[in-house]
Amino acid sequence: MLRVGDVVTAYGQLEALKGVSVAAESGKITCLLGPNGAGKTTLMMTVTGLLKPKRGSIAFEGQELVGLSPSEIVARGVALVPENRLVFPDMSVRENLEAGAYLRRKPAEIAADLDRMFERFPRLKERAGQSAGTLSGGEQQMLAVARALMSRPRLLLMDEPSLGLAPLIVEEIFRIVAELNRDGTSIFLVEQNAHMALKVAHHFYLIEQGRVTFSGSPGQLAEDEVIQRAYLGSKRG
Amino acid sequence: MLDLIQNTIDGVMIGGAYALLALGFTLTFGVMRRLNLAFGAIVLCGLYAGAAAHQALGWGLLGSIAATLAVAVAAGLYVERLCFRALAESASIAAMVSSFAIWMQLEEIAALLMPRRTYAYPALSEARPWEWAGLSLRPDQLAMAAVALGAMAALGWTLRRTRFGLAARAVATAPLAARLAGIEPARIGSAMFLLACGLGGLAGALIAAVDSQVTIKFGMWAMLKGLVAMTLGGIGSIPGAVIGGLALGVIESNAQWYLGAEWRDIVAYGLLFAVLYWRRGRERPWTNS
Amino acid sequence: MDEFLIGVLSNIGLMSLLALSAWLLLVVGEISFGQQAFFALGAYAAGIATALYGWPLPLGLFAGVVVGALAGFAVAIPTMRLTGLAFAIATLAFAELMRLLLQLWVFQREVDGERLGPNAVEGFRGVRWVYDHDLSALGYLGVIWGIVVVVLAALFLCERSRIGLACRAVGADAELAEAQGLPAARLKILVATVAGGLAALGGGLYVHLATYVEPQHFSIMLGVHALAYGLIGGLGTALGPILGVVLDIGLLEALQEIARYRMIVFGGAVAVLLILRPRGLLDEALVRRLTRGKP
Ligand SMILES: Nc1ncnc2c1ncn2[C@@H]1O[C@H](COP(=O)(O)OP(=O)(O)OP(=O)(O)O)[C@@H](O)[C@H]1O
Ligand SMILES: [Mg+2]
Repeated sequence: MLRVGDVVTAYGQLEALKGVSVAAESGKITCLLGPNGAGKTTLMMTVTGLLKPKRGSIAFEGQELVGLSPSEIVARGVALVPENRLVFPDMSVRENLEAGAYLRRKPAEIAADLDRMFERFPRLKERAGQSAGTLSGGEQQMLAVARALMSRPRLLLMDEPSLGLAPLIVEEIFRIVAELNRDGTSIFLVEQNAHMALKVAHHFYLIEQGRVTFSGSPGQLAEDEVIQRAYLGSKRG
Repeated sequence: MLDLIQNTIDGVMIGGAYALLALGFTLTFGVMRRLNLAFGAIVLCGLYAGAAAHQALGWGLLGSIAATLAVAVAAGLYVERLCFRALAESASIAAMVSSFAIWMQLEEIAALLMPRRTYAYPALSEARPWEWAGLSLRPDQLAMAAVALGAMAALGWTLRRTRFGLAARAVATAPLAARLAGIEPARIGSAMFLLACGLGGLAGALIAAVDSQVTIKFGMWAMLKGLVAMTLGGIGSIPGAVIGGLALGVIESNAQWYLGAEWRDIVAYGLLFAVLYWRRGRERPWTNS
Repeated sequence: MDEFLIGVLSNIGLMSLLALSAWLLLVVGEISFGQQAFFALGAYAAGIATALYGWPLPLGLFAGVVVGALAGFAVAIPTMRLTGLAFAIATLAFAELMRLLLQLWVFQREVDGERLGPNAVEGFRGVRWVYDHDLSALGYLGVIWGIVVVVLAALFLCERSRIGLACRAVGADAELAEAQGLPAARLKILVATVAGGLAALGGGLYVHLATYVEPQHFSIMLGVHALAYGLIGGLGTALGPILGVVLDIGLLEALQEIARYRMIVFGGAVAVLLILRPRGLLDEALVRRLTRGKP
């Protein structure tokens, strides 16, 4: 469904991605694990068109995404739940969700999806009129997920949804990830929490210092080693 | 006491127009994080067009206001393309200086085309002031305040109830997240910019129609009033712009009455400096209302 | 040299000092709309010193610099915490206050049977030290440019010193610089003080060239021009603002035929220039390339 081929992305001189190739299969949960600064967020930003790669290709359902604007990419069915959630703090929960549906034009369908989100995330429903900045971290994460879903993506990208959340909330998030996947959304998940990620992933990659260093299914590599490499990187240097 | 009430009434009237000017700055600053120094010159171009239509073609009040709005938006489009859109996002100082250069340019074009010191602008109303219990109220000023209020209400509705307003607020509070939702900040910014120029044109038209004339100095005057009013209410806040505009009007009219005309602006600037110091210049985000 | 040319060159020198003052603040990342206030203070202080109290010119200029620097310092203390637009508007408010107060200020003395001194909106007339001491226009041009060259030399020395580097770091990212232990706020106050003094120096020289000043000379127009010069000429070197002044005053005063359309041409040219070079002609990247290899 998503095929990232040999992508190089740089900030000025510094190449944060040094030729990354990964793929996400339709209907599956794919995970990308790696330590801080490995380039995970950079990859997410490149796929969504916020950063332009220096070279390489990104194909989604056979169509090239490189060169498209973020809004065109959202329109094609790829949505990102950004790192650190980034809700619209001064807008109400409901307005945050409506903003997620910005590119859609049919009010009736949007209203129906809004109801579905409130069903799936009852806590958001209780706080529909409250401004998003006053939500707890976990609630904001739910809101960020729901907001991304409002664009009706076929592929949902998530950048460290467990970041800074209490264990119980993290479990809830991963339960939702599995649920969304069961309902038909393909998911590409970036994580540092290897333990939780390996539980839900069908396939996973390790990325270290801008390069993919492992690709396989959970169980192909001992969890200890994955955790080690996802947090700290290999002991190369 | 009566004087104070009268001054406050007068101040609120003119304050409505100040508020529109302040909103012009706030709208662009909120979405683009940039300052448009050509704002006053854009309004001036509109007013000169309105005055020209009045003089050469005999257009009345509504026609002149329409000409003012149209030319203000057209001049705004020119400034937006040349000074803002063409520059990278990070080049906000360059955009500001560039808009300053175009301010000079527009003003010179206006002065070359229409070299007299003043031009007549159709009057808003020639009805005599209403007197009541020692207070007087000019109908034209009341009309100005009413139109300004109506424009602000329409703006509030647009920001709160429309898809465009939702997108604009999203861009103003979290531009990156807005882009991830498929909103294009550059396009929203351009639209906001033109909307701001339209509001500025309306404010200018109201003031010119109350004075029945317009001078070349109007551009600079409008820019200073707008900036001061915006800052008094809290940079970047929409309700702040309205409050700042009204406050500036009331402060000015009272200072003028009690201290004399030469102290009017001194009090306003002194207060502005104090407010900035007091609030530590915190930039308030656009709030919901 | 013909008189017109001397006049233009003198103006360029004076405006260069004001432009340098605005540029200094740009280097530490602050926009000031108000440097004209210090220019005005310098003009009034130096003029009062020479015309009212008979001080010699150098001492008068020095008095102007001290007043300007003190004012710069005094304004920097309350505005130091402000950033971005808030700082710019605070400086604007201060400058307009200054101008409006000068419009009210009367301070006159009898000097040789003549009443001299600031006289509200009438301005301050009769600052004739240069003419009373038979300093020729060319001679005074030499004085102006001598001072500009000394100032430039001092700025170049600073640029390479630790303070200069610290200023650039603060200008690039004040928070980051602060995190690295640089005293960003104190540096900004220091720079604002120096900038106040520089602008005042320009003002002091100006009043002695023109023999009179009026408060209305010091409107925001003057300040924004000064700011624009730095950005046109380039933020990378102290020569940038001077280049900006030369381009505006020099080129366009020289081309008298188009003087009527001056701002139409110049305004458009500046806008296009800033699209191509958003940090001016002599920007940091160019300066780095030109000076690479040297210590
Ligand atoms: N805006 C930027 N400018 C310059 N360098 C950057 C920028 N953003 C990231 N980098 C660098 O690129 C590299 C990859 O960063 P990235 O944010 O993609 O890592 P990450 O894997 O998401 O890390 P984390 O787990 O901490 O979120 C890092 O070395 C980082 O310092
Ligand atoms: Mg990251």
